[in-house]
Amino acid sequence: MVIREALAPFILTVLLLIGILALVLVPIAMTQPDPWGMIDTFLLGPFRNPRHTGNIVEMATPAMLCGLAVALMFRTGMFNLGVEGAFFLGGLATVATALLVPLPALALVPVALLVGTLIGSSVCIVPGYLRSRYEVSELVSSLMLNFAALFIGLYVVNYVLRDPSAGAMVSYKIPLEARLPRLIAGTRIHLGTLFAVVACIAGSIYLFRTTWGFESRIVGANPGFATHLGLPIRRIMLRAQIIGGAIAAFAGGIEMLGLYQRFSWQSLPGNGWTGVVVAILARDHPLLLIPAALFLSYLQVGGDLVARNHDVPSEVVGLIQALILIFVTASAITRNPRLLAWVAGRRTENEA
Amino acid sequence: MSDLFDMSAIIALVPVLLRVTTPILLAALGVHISQRAGVLNLGIEGMMLSAALAGVIVSAATGSAWIGLLGALFTGLALAGMLAFAVHTLKADLILAGIALNMLAASGTTLILFMLTGDKGMSGSLASQVLPSVTLPVIADILVLGTLLSGHHVLTYLALILVPVVAITMMRTPFGIRMRAVGENAEAAATAGINVIRMQVVALLISGLFAGAAGAFLSMGYVSWFSQNMSAGRGFVALAADLMGYGSAWGTMLASLLLGTAEAVVISLQGEGLPSELLQAVPYIVPVIALVIHAQRRKKAA
Repeated sequence: MVIREALAPFILTVLLLIGILALVLVPIAMTQPDPWGMIDTFLLGPFRNPRHTGNIVEMATPAMLCGLAVALMFRTGMFNLGVEGAFFLGGLATVATALLVPLPALALVPVALLVGTLIGSSVCIVPGYLRSRYEVSELVSSLMLNFAALFIGLYVVNYVLRDPSAGAMVSYKIPLEARLPRLIAGTRIHLGTLFAVVACIAGSIYLFRTTWGFESRIVGANPGFATHLGLPIRRIMLRAQIIGGAIAAFAGGIEMLGLYQRFSWQSLPGNGWTGVVVAILARDHPLLLIPAALFLSYLQVGGDLVARNHDVPSEVVGLIQALILIFVTASAITRNPRLLAWVAGRRTENEA
Repeated sequence: MSDLFDMSAIIALVPVLLRVTTPILLAALGVHISQRAGVLNLGIEGMMLSAALAGVIVSAATGSAWIGLLGALFTGLALAGMLAFAVHTLKADLILAGIALNMLAASGTTLILFMLTGDKGMSGSLASQVLPSVTLPVIADILVLGTLLSGHHVLTYLALILVPVVAITMMRTPFGIRMRAVGENAEAAATAGINVIRMQVVALLISGLFAGAAGAFLSMGYVSWFSQNMSAGRGFVALAADLMGYGSAWGTMLASLLLGTAEAVVISLQGEGLPSELLQAVPYIVPVIALVIHAQRRKKAA
């Protein structure tokens, strides 16, 4: 009974997720000649083939890291949405370093990732700095800088890194020595996945066991109290955005070195927004980011399989993500005492 | 002689400037109203995008640009209603619900476009209509004034007329004063007998209508098609315009004109052999710089 009580919010979230899936999938399946086949492909397809199951883990890697970046900033009360741009620019700067800087093979990966992290994180750090120095809304400036990062990045791809022998606007091939090693044969799961899991664990320790993390949570939960304590609020806010930006840019770098042969993004890849959904689903808790990211990636792989085998675009997954974002933050549902009591199998006070 | 040439070049820029400013201004006025009522409408980007698609679909189905406009306005209104429902009834976070609305619109418009046309990128196969430009009588024939004042798009005139309408409504009418009271201090407003939730819902609905008009301009203003993600961050630029506008409709208009100027200059430079990618970044960097300058001034004033 006690366990069921403690798990009630979790069970309620799971019920919500099932409801959202049904809400989106059933009407779309009805438009198909083979509705059961589509739902079957979506829900079970990702597990029928080890390669597709591997895809879940591959996609969960950037989702975990972007989720971590978002969670650490949201915990500090910073609505910095530069994760999207930092991920893009981090990936690009990492590839650019690997292509342009002559480095010994051993130093190639660490140096490229470091440069990528430094440059890419600027998309979160600049809004963070402008917020703490001038009180410019980090929300709006980070949204603007996402687009600025995209177009400046495309300029670099087109004028500096572009391989004229490739048909499309893509970079030269990333040198083989710069690619991250694959961990499991038959899948593309790479070293970056380990980094991501370790980062989530480290993020949890940081947030709940260190002074910096504690300060972050106070500023996020109650800025007035933080002022009263005499905490250096501006510095704490900026710190969260530096760390968040660095994680997001690092994620872009390992995504490129882990999975790509060339830099080929022509638009913002959307991983940052997925990171927002992951963070919200995990309630900004770093350890819960791991299952949340795996779940969202499972949906993405299901959506991709449906797009390949049925006449339904993979954007269905975007609909599901948006509904998750709304319903999981809807405290009228997730914190509803009657609903929680019902899930916990307990009668509410007024009924008793 | 060269002065004369420069003058005419600048005058020729005015129609371009008004064209790129119109959607930003309409959306920014919508953001302005929501912001003053304390419910910043971050979903404006998604509302514009959805309205743009709705305008194309409805006008293609009915053969009437005006009914298409109604469809776009209704779509903005309906999405704003959804946002209000999520925030007030479901008690979702305002910012996150806005982000969710944008995601919903980005995926939803692509899905609907695909189901109607079999194409994910463009609505080329739908014979949608274009809303007209207006030639003002008499003024159109006057040499310079004609170029400046006449021949613009009907929604451009609407946007310009709405600036004083919004300014007067917000500053001088009981309705606007109540709305601002709710945004300034919801608890005090509630104590004074104002229905806070109703004011905020109304503010969101009005901003949805503005987003609808802005979206209609994108897909039915000068072009007759919808393309994937055609709003391209203009809703976010509108958020910046509102922040730069010192909380007044006139300020919002000036900010929109400034941001529109940046975009218009970029468009006119694009033929000059400069790398188009870098030019495209400019309209997104200008708001950030403008916000910093704005914040510095506010700091000095304080």
